[in-house]
Amino acid sequence: MRPTRSPTPRPALHLSQRNIQARTLVCRNGPAGYLAITLRELLRELVRAAGRRSVGRLESPAAAGAAPVGLAPLRRVVLADEVSRALFAEFTAHRSSDRGGEETGWALLGLRRADEAVALATLPAGTARDADEAHVKFNSAAQAFASRVVRQGHRQLALLGVVHTHPGSLRHPSTGDFRGDIEWVTNLRGGEGVFGIGTADAEPRPDAGISWQPAPNVQCFGELCLSWYVLGKRDRNYRPLPVGLTIGPDLAAPLRPVWDELEAHAERLDRLARQLSRVKFEVAAGREKAALTLTVPLPEEGRSVRVELEGKDVRYRLLTPDGALAADLREDRVDVGVFLMLSELAAR
Amino acid sequence: MDFRPLTETERKHLITALRGNAQDGLAVLMDRQTTSFLGTAEEVPDEEVINAIRSVPCHY
Repeated sequence: MRPTRSPTPRPALHLSQRNIQARTLVCRNGPAGYLAITLRELLRELVRAAGRRSVGRLESPAAAGAAPVGLAPLRRVVLADEVSRALFAEFTAHRSSDRGGEETGWALLGLRRADEAVALATLPAGTARDADEAHVKFNSAAQAFASRVVRQGHRQLALLGVVHTHPGSLRHPSTGDFRGDIEWVTNLRGGEGVFGIGTADAEPRPDAGISWQPAPNVQCFGELCLSWYVLGKRDRNYRPLPVGLTIGPDLAAPLRPVWDELEAHAERLDRLARQLSRVKFEVAAGREKAALTLTVPLPEEGRSVRVELEGKDVRYRLLTPDGALAADLREDRVDVGVFLMLSELAAR
Repeated sequence: MDFRPLTETERKHLITALRGNAQDGLAVLMDRQTTSFLGTAEEVPDEEVINAIRSVPCHY
């Protein structure tokens, strides 16, 4: 039975005693014999009813926006200070680059707590992003693999949301953003996402070098501003989200020196991560710069296959208790090279 | 071994942990020596993060 709707004057809302058992709601003008409830109670009852209807459905947590018990709507986002510095520093660097007229952005990893999100890692859009002055599509393959590396020691990190920049002075997500985000937030914990908008429209203050907050959801530093919002899967618009800072790391910062290598090999490295459960990724000193390394432990104690990615070089080594042996293998496809090494070793 | 019945709080905790494991793939922690229930690790499955990143829409 559907709720009935009376014409104006607007009637009081009543919950039929009889129909409580039938779990139907009616709306009557005459209160006699009926239990009046407030609009808040009615909404609560509707939410409960919606919950009952969804109990039987078996959806994947991601698809359902499922979350551990206890998650409440987001009331603030807290940025680790290194995360905040990275966003402002890389936004500045981006604006002075030859692609500075384009939009750019970052994905945010962090902790989703009861009613707050704590951002602890930034994953840049990447040089292989698709962008111009009116849109940006991140290099998600590189970001996905980077999240694997960052989460090796921090399995509690979730994707919190994204930050992207606007070349003009629009400090709010656009209607085009909303169309994509309202579907996408169902993939996030609690069915909510954190969204930051970067603009370069602030009036720099004389006390340069110190940030300020003209509103609870806006951070300004120099001429740059980051405005923060939250969007839930049932929202009709983004809501301003107060932002705060805490002392903490950007856990993705160590990957910055090898981001080019990471982007170049992301798909094949991600494939290896899925195929070999004990593979480990690290950033280590290379010959001329930092190198992205992966290590595959072998069954024999103290032996492993190690690959070093530095610039265009792909170097394969066999690590043994007695030292490292360089493999005479020239294979740029890192997953192919690893399996050639494993095949060669298995044949011995 | 301690075979005492679980308290109400412990029982709820265990049920929540088992539900999290079944529905969300969250790890259930076990004491190495006594195999008793230690709680849950608030781990986020790789697939959840990867799928969310790969589905980030274009922004304008």
